[in-house]
Amino acid sequence: MSTATARPRVNLPRLTLVQRLGLLLGLIAFLVPLLIEIPSLEPAGRRMLAIFLLAILFWVSEAIPLYATAVLVILLEVLMLSDQALVGVAGTLPPAASYFAALANPVIILFLGGFLIADGARKFGLDRSLAAVMLRPFAGNARLSLLGLMMITALLSMFVSNTATTATMFAVVIPILAALPKGRARTGVALAIPVAANVGGIGTPVGSPPNAIALGALEASGQGISFIGWMLLAVPLMVVVLLFAWWFLTRRYIAAETPLALELSADFDRSPAAVIFYLIAGATILLWLTEPFHGIASSTVGFLPVVALLATQVMGADDIKRLQWPVLWLVAGGIALGAGIGASGLDLWLIGLVAWEALPLTLLLLLLVGVSVGLSTVISHSAAANLLVPLTLSLAIGLPIDPTAVGVMVALACALGMALPISTPPNAIAYATGEVPTSEMIVSGVVIGGFGALLLALVMPSLWTALGLL
Amino acid sequence: MKLALLILEDERPVREALKRDLAAFARHLRIEEAEDVPTALEVIEEIDAAGDRLALVLADHRLPGTSGVDFLIDLAVDDRAFATRKVLVTGQADQDDTIRAINEAGLDRYVAKPWTADALRELVRDQLTEFVLAAGVDPLPHLAVLDAERALSIVGERGDL
Repeated sequence: MSTATARPRVNLPRLTLVQRLGLLLGLIAFLVPLLIEIPSLEPAGRRMLAIFLLAILFWVSEAIPLYATAVLVILLEVLMLSDQALVGVAGTLPPAASYFAALANPVIILFLGGFLIADGARKFGLDRSLAAVMLRPFAGNARLSLLGLMMITALLSMFVSNTATTATMFAVVIPILAALPKGRARTGVALAIPVAANVGGIGTPVGSPPNAIALGALEASGQGISFIGWMLLAVPLMVVVLLFAWWFLTRRYIAAETPLALELSADFDRSPAAVIFYLIAGATILLWLTEPFHGIASSTVGFLPVVALLATQVMGADDIKRLQWPVLWLVAGGIALGAGIGASGLDLWLIGLVAWEALPLTLLLLLLVGVSVGLSTVISHSAAANLLVPLTLSLAIGLPIDPTAVGVMVALACALGMALPISTPPNAIAYATGEVPTSEMIVSGVVIGGFGALLLALVMPSLWTALGLL
Repeated sequence: MKLALLILEDERPVREALKRDLAAFARHLRIEEAEDVPTALEVIEEIDAAGDRLALVLADHRLPGTSGVDFLIDLAVDDRAFATRKVLVTGQADQDDTIRAINEAGLDRYVAKPWTADALRELVRDQLTEFVLAAGVDPLPHLAVLDAERALSIVGERGDL
């Protein structure tokens, strides 16, 4: 086309007051540990504390984008805490390559596979067709349909990002919404999707980034969990919270005997490329679920679809470009942060700060889950996990509880912070449809998230122990 | 940031009719009108200064002074109108003008007067969605005026940040 076109302008965003404050406080917090002598903290630990405080303020205020903070963390660790540090310290520091390696951590590779499978599912319309087929048995009654809708959303969300699941399900549901009378029933349906997507995300390691962050940190400390092992820990909680959420949402929003017509057509792509994709995706998921039998690590299995889909040219360079690199970088930043905290000895200093072991374990777990849910309500789930996983794993060293339980609990708790439109992208999508007032999102988020948090803190650890999962 | 729609039309009753048919969008869309090209350029400057984005222009062809097609051709290289969708709403453009609008201005749609209200609303929704997709604007704040299914497909690519 010979038509002249305008050039896109790159407009720098105007920083909000919170962002400006975050920027300023972040820089101050970064300088304080470097300039002030802290008793019992080695120079390396002080440098790491500076980086950690900066990360907290930047991730909480979003002074710079979340993924920018993540790469900043990696750079600062290289410049301050590696063999390439600008100013050396006593003792040996890890090689710079070990921090950069966070970008290729096995967990990132696992996610790469999960992302490609999820992208393929969308490319071939598999997600929508599956949703249509699985919703059919639930047609007719609105309360029952909602159960079907939530189950399918959660199931998709176990393998596809919570955001993409929500977007797909709303695309399916918007015509259904329009058929319902305006008001509470619509609100109920529009709330059910993000709730189910958020809760479903805890089901597998690839379901959402906090899981990957916890998994990466646990693997670094030699406490790795298999794919199916994670599912055994998380799926019981997922199912119970989903059922509770369905009960709560239907009782609150959807009158019994509300009719709901579902006319969804499944349109399965049967082209050779699509069939190859189904086979590769199916084989990958099967291998993930059968790790105890063959022993191939889930990250290695995750790399299989990457190779197979690219080699068969079912997916290509464009699909690689479209991968959610910001998410991968954010997770990598969290892994690098955890590695730095361990390598610098900051973890040991943090434990010494408070006599945690003096508190009853139940209270501690409630506190842990409460802080995680609270923080992830107001900031990104992934950023919250990035900050809390390394911190809590350090603290767990001195506690009479399996560190694996602590890591998993933080990741699961971060999924339960869903009381505000800003809490998670799925909530933002539901809010944008105009069917969900903020007040209703707060009520459902607090009730469902609170129920899940209590279950997680009070019941799950004993259940895991009783089932011999830890 | 709001999406903006500009109606460039010299006849007041026609402008009013367009605005009336698009009233359903008014809550989520900045609807501006101009009776000639100099006014339209002022409006574009105002939209830009306010940090809003000109998403769609509905332009008549026969105007006092500069023609609608010439305006659209200039707009094609205007940085303030990056990815802006261009629609000619006219009964009087001859074939040569229409060809120039398509080839030189990258015209997106042609609406012949008289239009039907439903078809116009559908066209506006479709073109606003095209703008959001092409300009890389976050569709969520504007979902009410977009084709939700297409708009959500790019939201899904964002991932769980």
